[in-house]
Parts: sequence; C-alpha cells; structure tokens
Amino acid sequence: MVTFLRILGGLVILGVLALLAFLFVPVQRTAPTAQLPADWTPAPGQGEYVAIASDCVACHTAPDGQPFAGGRAIVSPMGTIWSTNITADKETGIGNWTLDDFRAAMVDGVTPDGTHLYPAMPYENYRLMTEEDIRALYDYLMHELPAVHAAAPKTELTFPFNLRFGIRAWNWLALSHGAGFKPEGRSELEDRGQYLVEGPAHCAACHSPRTRFMSQDGILATDRSFLTGGVIDGWNAPALRGPESAPQKWTLDELATYLATGRNAHSTANGEMGLVVEHSLQYLTDRDNLAIAAFLKGIDGAAVEVPETFAAITGAQPPAEADAAGAETERLLTEASPDMPLGARLYLDNCSACHFVTGKGAPGIFPELQANELVTGSETKPLISIILNGAEVQGTQKRPMNLVMQGYADRLTDGDVAELANFLRTAWGNDAAPVTSADVAKVRAEGVH
Amino acid sequence: MTDLPGYPSRRSFLKASAAGVAIAGVAGTAQAEATPQAPPLEAYEPAYFTPEEWQFILAATARLIPSEGNGPGAIETRVPVFIDLQLADDYGRADDWYMMGPHDPTAGADRGWQTPLNPAQLYRQAIPAFNAWCEAQYGKAFAVLDTAQQDAALTALQKGDADLGDELKIFFATLLANTKEGYFADPMYGGNHGMQAWVYIGFPGARAAYREWPTRHNIKYPLGPVSIKGERA
Repeated sequence: MVTFLRILGGLVILGVLALLAFLFVPVQRTAPTAQLPADWTPAPGQGEYVAIASDCVACHTAPDGQPFAGGRAIVSPMGTIWSTNITADKETGIGNWTLDDFRAAMVDGVTPDGTHLYPAMPYENYRLMTEEDIRALYDYLMHELPAVHAAAPKTELTFPFNLRFGIRAWNWLALSHGAGFKPEGRSELEDRGQYLVEGPAHCAACHSPRTRFMSQDGILATDRSFLTGGVIDGWNAPALRGPESAPQKWTLDELATYLATGRNAHSTANGEMGLVVEHSLQYLTDRDNLAIAAFLKGIDGAAVEVPETFAAITGAQPPAEADAAGAETERLLTEASPDMPLGARLYLDNCSACHFVTGKGAPGIFPELQANELVTGSETKPLISIILNGAEVQGTQKRPMNLVMQGYADRLTDGDVAELANFLRTAWGNDAAPVTSADVAKVRAEGVH
Repeated sequence: MTDLPGYPSRRSFLKASAAGVAIAGVAGTAQAEATPQAPPLEAYEPAYFTPEEWQFILAATARLIPSEGNGPGAIETRVPVFIDLQLADDYGRADDWYMMGPHDPTAGADRGWQTPLNPAQLYRQAIPAFNAWCEAQYGKAFAVLDTAQQDAALTALQKGDADLGDELKIFFATLLANTKEGYFADPMYGGNHGMQAWVYIGFPGARAAYREWPTRHNIKYPLGPVSIKGERA
C-alpha cells in the first residue's frame, strides 16, 4: 500500500512537472533548412514575389486598409481572429523582429516572446519554404515595404481557445512534417510547381480536408489526402486530383489559364479562389503558373505535356455542344413546353441566355453549369448566393474584362430559387442533393458579403 | 339614366370593375416575390391626377384602345395607372429634357417637344381646356359623353379642330403615345397588366434567349411572356 502511494505520488509529481514544462519551457525553434553564405542577398524583386506567391495580403490587409498592416477579421470555428500588422513598424508591426524571429513565425508558428500563433496563419505550409525565400520575404517586409503605424485589433477568443499554450499540443499533431522542401524529382518544372503548391501558395490550407483536430489532412505531395478537397467558410474547395477533378479533366493550358486569369473555357474563379487569383496568381510568371498546372496534372502519376504558352487569344470561341450526359436536359429546354417543371422554366426565363440550354456556357465568359462543383457541391450557400446576389470575377492582367452576373434576389422568391437550384443540381447529368426554401431564406437574410 | 358631369359614368365604372376581376385572376399566377396584388382600378389612388383628370384619362384611353376590340383594352391593361405613375415621376417633370426655348408651335413633329410645359403640366392644362371644348360642343365633360361623341371629340382634337392653343397643341399626340407605351411597356411600370398586351401580340417578353429557335422552322414558339420582374403569363 505504501509502495503504491509512493508510486502514485511520484506519478503526480511527474505529471505536474510535465505540465509546468509544457507551460513554461520555451518552444525549440527549428533551425534554418539551409546555411546561406554570410553575404547572401535576395535577387531584386525576389522578396516581393514571394510575398505575392504566398498571398500575405489576403489576410494581412484589412478591407480598404494599408497593405500588410493587418486588421482583417478572419472568421474561424473558434471565433474571430484578427490578422496582425507585418510591416516594419517597431510598435505595431514586426520592426523589432530578427530574421530568426521571423523564421520561427513562418516555420514554428511562434512569435519572439514565445506566444503561439493561431493556425489561421498557415505555418503548416510556410514551413516548407526554402531558407532563401524566407530570407527574401523578411528582407522585403523589413526594408522595401513602407512601415505602417497601425495597431490591429487584439484577437480575443473565448475559453478554451484563448489559452494559446494549447496550440503547443496542437502543433505536435499538425507539424509532424519537417521544415524545408523535398522535391519529388518528376521534372524541374513539376518540382517548381510542387514547391509553390505545397509551400508559399499554401493550396492545401483549403484544398486538403481537415482532421478532427482541424489540422490539415494532407500537407505534402506524398500524403494520401493531399488536395482531395476541403470546405472553407461555407465554400467547397474542390479536389484537385482524382479522375473527376477539374484539373484532371481540363487541359494543362486551361488549368494554367484559370490560375492566371480567373477564367477558362469551362469555369470562373469565384469566392475565395477569385481572391487568390486577384491578389496572387495573376502576378506569377507564366512559367510558375505552368509549373503549378504541370504539377497538378501529374499529381496522380499521369504523363505531363507542357505547352510553350497558355491563355493565347484565339478569337471567338464557339460555345460547346451538349454532350451525352446533357442531351436530355438540352431537349427539355429546347422543346420549351409550358408544362415543363418550374425549375427548368425558371432556368429558361432567367439563365439560359448566358449559360445556354446545353449548360455549357460560353468559353472564357459564362461558366459551365454541367459538372460544375460550385453547382453540385455539398456546400449550397455559394450557388444560392450567386443566384440571389450575382457574382463578379475581377479582370486580370491577361484578361482585363470584369465578368459580372446580376443577382436575382428581386426577381425570384425563395421557393423559386430552391426550384432553380434543384434543377441545376440535377440537370445535364448533375446529381446533387436538393436544397430547400429555408436554405435560400437563410442565405437571403445574410445579404451580400 | 343621365350621367352627371364630373362623376364616373356607369360604363367606365363597369369597365373598371371588369378590369378588377381580370387583375385578381391574373395576379394569382404572378410568381415573383416583390409583386404586391394591384388594387382594382376603381380603388386606385392616383399619384398625380386629380379626380377630374383621372375620369378623363380613364375615358380617353378606353376610346384609344377600346375593350370591345379583339384584344385587351387600355382599361384591363391598366394603361391609366402607367400614365399616372409616369407623370408623377421624372418623365412628368421632364427632368432630363432640354426645356429652354425657343418653342415653335408651327415646327414639324420631327423637331421634338415644342412647348414650354413639361408633360405633367401639359396634361394638367390640356384636360380642363379640352373638357371646356366638349362642354361648349356637347354640353358635357368628355368623360360623360357617349362613345360616339367621345370618338368625334378625340378626332377633332387630333386634327386640330378642337384648338387648345399653341402650348397644348402636342397634347393629343402625347396622350396617344403614352397610351401605347402603357399598353406595351413592362408591367413593372404599372401598365400592360398581367402582360395581356404581350400575350395578345405573341411577344415573349424579357426572356432574351432564343438561340435554338432560328433553326426550328414552322414550329410555334410555345411559351408565354415573362416580365422583367419574373412574372409569367
């Protein structure tokens, strides 16, 4: 009995010591993945390019705010996280950070005082970046980008998420992969694509699923779940691999065109992806967008043929004809019988002028609705919201025209929108679960955002 | 029974009631959320017209597009409502028109608006002037004349035999144009109620999607019209 109590007491003491260590022993920072020469300096423009490829502004710039000065609200399941000022301002930004401090934030998710960053910051992905790119980015933020004195609102999550030391335990799960980039060696171009996709462009943050602990399930190209699709803020981030995924069905040219221009012969980039194109991908070099496309095309092992160029202007492209899966719906809409179901009638009255009875839309302008994952997704808010509020695809350097769809909130009732959405989700071979008027009412009440 | 001046004639009251029935029947098929059921024409409270002017508009438009033809008339399609709403709005005020002189009443129709009055003022001054002409000619205001007299009076107005003066010379042409507009405009502007005029002439409305049809020869287009607000008829 005494022995048992001794053992128990020992265990309690060990437990308390472990807890204290967990709380108070500083996190070990990961060492640089490469030792650069002392006189190493980034190439002109390299740091800014890394910042663009990493899409820092997406989070670290408030709506109508100064670039990189933070203050954007990021809604998470845990509560609202406010992005921070990452300009070189010494009081409100990161002006006092050393390169080692900066690397620790990018790679380990910790600030100089040891505070854990919330993983809204995708250090799970950024830790794969090369030492050169991290240093170039640091150099850009510190010495090229103007410092902005602007204090971002403090993130105050509710218990237990306000206890940041908990993230230390979370990181044991999330950061099981080492820092630095490990190319698969398929080809120089595909390796470059792999680097951009895995690291700076942090595609897996949306396009990989999440574990039950909300860490990314699939961070490396070798992970089985990598880029098999996720959900972000009520939007489906579609799978980028597998035979039914858009990148595998599109040509490499079409995929690179989508990345660089937010549109291609099949689809348009809406929602979060529209922002990624607007702020980041359109400014990448042609070679880098081809590299990303080449890597994604080859991700499941297919041979990759890379075109010399992409997004060529080839003059008017005729709309596609209906295929076998779409033939029956095309016939229904073409016959235009007054007895047709309400959803089909609403499509004829409201949609078919642009998206056509084939559901194929017009190349580069009106997206296909057949097999369009925004139409058939498990998340129905995007489809309902676009019917109600319309959509806009921003012009890009290669395709300057904004693409605008009007909203139909004034023209269609909630019941109409549900009928129309359900038609779209089952037309041309689409096969997705129905939505209800109540779903529509909820999205209508949220308004445009 | 003699109709009293200034009061709705039995005939126009009946027409208005018939329109009310037609409206009630049509409104049930309207699908768009934002479309409130229109009040019957006799219960309509004009936004611009005085009661006397309103009686004139009901009677005059009913003669320009009569209900006893082979299609819907101005009353069933609520043309008077269209004109009332237009005159109460920027059209009535000629908000974006060049309204400075000179105005030449002898100028041809291709020279545009040749009166210093805006459309709302034109109706306001022309209706009592024309009613006065009818009184002098027939002893009654226009609204209470029988249909043959109304047709004769309108013909006189069109031909200039009923001369209301230089500034009002354009009144008949304006009234006729506004009546046609109210008949064929989208129902969101108050006229063409239930898209009856579009159904009558076979115009399919604001669908704007007929890519399949140029090659489908000798097949009657099967769908009725759709309005800008999405109603179907």
